[in-house]
Amino acid sequence: MAEAAQTNQGPLTTIVDDWSSDVTTFKAVPWGKAMMWIFLLSDTFIFTSFLVSYMAVRMTQTDAWPYPSEVFSLEAFGTPVPLLLIAIMTFILITSSGTMAMAVNMGYRKRKVAVFWLMFATAMLGLSFVGMQAFEWTKLIGDEGVKAWQNPMGAPQFGSFFFMITGFHGLHVSAGVVYLLLVAIRVLRGKYDNTSFEIVEITGLYWHFVDLVWVFIFAFFYLW
Amino acid sequence: MRKILDHHVAILLGIVVVGSVIFNVWSPWQFTEIASNWEFIDFTVKVTWWICGVAFVLLGLFMAWAIWRYKYHESGESHYEPEHPVLESWLTIITSIGVVIMLAPGLIVWDDYVQVPPDAMEVEVLGEQWTWKFRFPGEDGIFGTTSVKKNVERGPDGTTFEPNITSLNPFGMRDGDPHGEDDILIASNVLHVPLDRNIKVVMRSKDVLHDFWVPEIRAKMDMVPGMITYFWFRPTRTGEFEILCAELCGRSHHNMRGTMYIDTQEDFEAWLDSQVTWAEMKAGQVPEEPIVAKGRQVADQNGCFACHSLDGTSVVGPTWQGLWGREVVLDDGSTVIADEAYIVESIVEPNVKLVEGFGSVMTPYAFEDDEMEALLRFLQETAK
Amino acid sequence: MATAEIPYQETVPLHHPKTWIGKYVFSQDHKVIAVQYGITAIAVGLVALFLSDLMRIQIAYPGFMEWFVEDYYYQAITMHGMIMVIYLLTAFLLGAFGNFTVPLMCGARDMVFPFVNMLSYWVYLISVIILLLGYIPGLGGPTGAGWTLYPPQTITEGTPGADWGIMTMLASLAVFIVAFTMGGLNYITTILQARTRGMSLMRLPLTVWGIFVATFLGLLAFPALFVSAIMMILDLRIGTSFFMPAIVSLGQTLAHDGGQPLLFQHLFWFFGHPEVYIVALPAFGVVSDLISVHARKNIFGYRLMVWALVFIGILSFIVWAHHMFVAGMHPYFGFFFATTTLIIAVPTAIKVYNWILTLWKANIKLTVPMLYALSFVLTFIMGGITGLFLGNVIIDIPLSDTYFVVAHFHMVMGVSPILAIFGGIYHWYPKLTGRMLNDTVGKWHFWITFLGTYIIYFPMHYLGFIGVPRRYYENFDSSFYPASAQTLNEIITWTALVVGVAQLLYIGNLVHSYFYGKPAGDNPWGANSLEWCTPDTPPSHGNWGDKLPTVHRWAYDYSVPGSDKDFIPQTVPQGQSS
Repeated sequence: MAEAAQTNQGPLTTIVDDWSSDVTTFKAVPWGKAMMWIFLLSDTFIFTSFLVSYMAVRMTQTDAWPYPSEVFSLEAFGTPVPLLLIAIMTFILITSSGTMAMAVNMGYRKRKVAVFWLMFATAMLGLSFVGMQAFEWTKLIGDEGVKAWQNPMGAPQFGSFFFMITGFHGLHVSAGVVYLLLVAIRVLRGKYDNTSFEIVEITGLYWHFVDLVWVFIFAFFYLW
Repeated sequence: MRKILDHHVAILLGIVVVGSVIFNVWSPWQFTEIASNWEFIDFTVKVTWWICGVAFVLLGLFMAWAIWRYKYHESGESHYEPEHPVLESWLTIITSIGVVIMLAPGLIVWDDYVQVPPDAMEVEVLGEQWTWKFRFPGEDGIFGTTSVKKNVERGPDGTTFEPNITSLNPFGMRDGDPHGEDDILIASNVLHVPLDRNIKVVMRSKDVLHDFWVPEIRAKMDMVPGMITYFWFRPTRTGEFEILCAELCGRSHHNMRGTMYIDTQEDFEAWLDSQVTWAEMKAGQVPEEPIVAKGRQVADQNGCFACHSLDGTSVVGPTWQGLWGREVVLDDGSTVIADEAYIVESIVEPNVKLVEGFGSVMTPYAFEDDEMEALLRFLQETAK
Repeated sequence: MATAEIPYQETVPLHHPKTWIGKYVFSQDHKVIAVQYGITAIAVGLVALFLSDLMRIQIAYPGFMEWFVEDYYYQAITMHGMIMVIYLLTAFLLGAFGNFTVPLMCGARDMVFPFVNMLSYWVYLISVIILLLGYIPGLGGPTGAGWTLYPPQTITEGTPGADWGIMTMLASLAVFIVAFTMGGLNYITTILQARTRGMSLMRLPLTVWGIFVATFLGLLAFPALFVSAIMMILDLRIGTSFFMPAIVSLGQTLAHDGGQPLLFQHLFWFFGHPEVYIVALPAFGVVSDLISVHARKNIFGYRLMVWALVFIGILSFIVWAHHMFVAGMHPYFGFFFATTTLIIAVPTAIKVYNWILTLWKANIKLTVPMLYALSFVLTFIMGGITGLFLGNVIIDIPLSDTYFVVAHFHMVMGVSPILAIFGGIYHWYPKLTGRMLNDTVGKWHFWITFLGTYIIYFPMHYLGFIGVPRRYYENFDSSFYPASAQTLNEIITWTALVVGVAQLLYIGNLVHSYFYGKPAGDNPWGANSLEWCTPDTPPSHGNWGDKLPTVHRWAYDYSVPGSDKDFIPQTVPQGQSS
């Protein structure tokens, strides 16, 4: 890094130059994108607070904590497969990140129709995720008797945190689906033809974030 | 005179600074006299006091002087000097040194505060809205375990449990724990502790946050339901001291008082011997008629004992001991016999005829006929 | 430093309202939104002020107001605290000052997303209305749990408003956080991405720096409050046990089990401590600018002032548990949090030194805004050094939950920011309205408020020393302090009543001067920063006419040797002096 500073072209120098310049701090970053990044930073703190609370309560719990691979198993061809549904859900969500990335790519090339269909596909994948989540909830509530305030297998906080955090994440996904569809339709109608397609990228940022959060929820709820 | 008017801002700021110092010197309001081993806390306060006081006076007076000296003139011009790295570094260094001098003794005493000496005797303080109870571990030196609920059963249809803390078991002692039998239970808000013994105060709470605080001891700590907290101290003078609750605990927070006596060893032992153990308390409880037991249950579940005691102490409301049939003085000076009619009225419309010395804080209760009957029978029994 | 770049915002078309409602009610203009924020915050602040006077009367003369029962008292302390901290100070310093100064001082036409900015105000208004719904008769009154809202007592029957009062409080907070987020994203993006030519970050006035850092703190700290509000609502309404262990509330064994009351305290103070700085840092910034302008001297050590703001902001996230020294958390946390807390004193002290050193060899104009700024410094020193007592863990043990704490936080984050707000309004009112405020009324208000609040809070520390506990509806005669403490309480109450009434002077001044004040001209104080360089006063929609200004220097070129005037605005090229 010291070397870079001497030659005046290392990454550190660039950062210092950007931050000490006028007009914009992040060069070539549109306002909407900067704002989305900052919002996501704030949102990160919301999910962090949720997950840290969950860890704190779980670690200090004296009651039994249910064993995730049993609770979240799904009957397939007559045998219970642990975490089957969750694996599919995770796979779907990650796939949707892929289609989103392709949509952003098409956005750079201003290929409206491709952008529309890719965003539509992303939204449908998101919708199927929410649907499976609803299925999982009903299974947990109906078959296992886990409610937000009670848990026949031990500590009631298991249900409380599970429904609260996955529910909050599910709300994020649902909002994302609406957001995606709105933007996709606007793209198709040509609202952004004369400006840039940055809105697609901004939507993508949000969607990838929701995905990333799921990875953490997955790790903390299903693998711990 | 003109000069004074011209510089009134500087002068008044100066007066505020000097006045603060004078107030501090002459103030009759200083730390209360200490009654424990924590003089070092007072010492740390003094160190901080001096460093902060000197800083306050220097900064304040410098400001007042600068305002006087550099007051605006048409012809005047201020000195253009954006930065002065040397001065700024020195100020940073001096401040850091001051901070270290204040922090170091603080952390040393804190280390003392959190490490209880091994020879300390234990006393448990139990907080509840809005009174105190105390427990000593008895001869075996070990507290019996306690719990809020018993017979907890989980199932897909929900969780069922029975309450374990009732008026018959006010400390929530757990059945079948041999360590609990000899525990000495003090179900009133008066505590005695011996002089010159290290005392570890273990604290728990039945309901909300409380904070056991005797100002002369200096130490305090919150009591948190679901947790056990502690602090320790060594009493250094005998006397009678007030116990306060220092953490907001609901509408009668300010009424949550108690008394702590620091006794000589003999006085303390004499007092302790006169208290009952859990085994004795259980043995003394004769089986009640079903209707009386039901009345007790109604009173338990509706929280009557939060405000009304059975042992003659006044908490928030009048005690029930000896109430039935007694003549009571109302707050308008008149008297009334506490017969069935009066007591029913006081339950249904509690704030109409207030007993002298008590506030209008009770909410009206509406009971089913059978519950009311049981409650009245219980009240009648308690009065005996 | 490249200045050739054309700011993107010069090419963005502005939203021009066509109707009166679009211009003054649902306005997207940052100046109108600032005024809306300011008026709402002051209005709700007056409610809190009234509550505080009721509390003071009760403390000094228990029994005098017979109707003022325990429940009312505890509801008053709760509402007073929450309104003052969130709905007045945060909303005013960021919503009103932030909105007004950020685009003007950065040289922007408006916030980057004016529509979101407008929503921010209306959502804030909704949060205020929800908060006040708690006082609707029949709902059981607002919560009386204290502004810290500690469970379990917040939602158990022994506390007033445990049913609906706490719901309105938590819902209002959640809505406020949404409003704050919408505004805050705008402030940050505007400051980072929408400055004018030549305006580098290190040329920004300290007001903008204070608002910038404070907004960042808000965006990262409010989430913790948001999460705890959600969890508490679930505990209350559907019976989860996040914060609720097994307890016996007034005789009834509740179904809750296994929750952690301390978890709420950690979440609350992870928000709550940065919140102190969310209120303090914009005040720091405003005061720095006022002192520099009116002392006709550059702020001393500008770069250090900026870095001190940033360091205080970062450190404020690792000191939260100093509010919990007696809360029963693991005692070893005490070592860490006492140390970080006292470290934060160093950058804070540097700020104080630099304010005072700015006065040294200056040419001080004792205008009314300057008086507020100077009194801020003295009050803040008092509040800051008492913070050193409470931050040092072992001293906190005897002093916590006494009137020492009450005196400390009122000095440091109550009176100080309020004085900065008074000074700031006085300073910017001419730019906002084109008229000056009345100096005579201003001076009366200043002296009554400053000396009054000092008389209220300085002796109050001593009540804490003798052990008078806070949040007591009634202090009975206690053995451990002299009866004269009650006399002191009476003096404090009378002073508080006078100070409370005196606030009407300021409001009257604001209203009267709007119509009859002396015309101000473009730059009455002779200040350098960009807001004084607008082509119109009050600035028109879009602020700058056709072309954005170009900045050539920092905001503090006062009394530069060799220049013919004692100030050089930021738009004057280097080498010229006017």
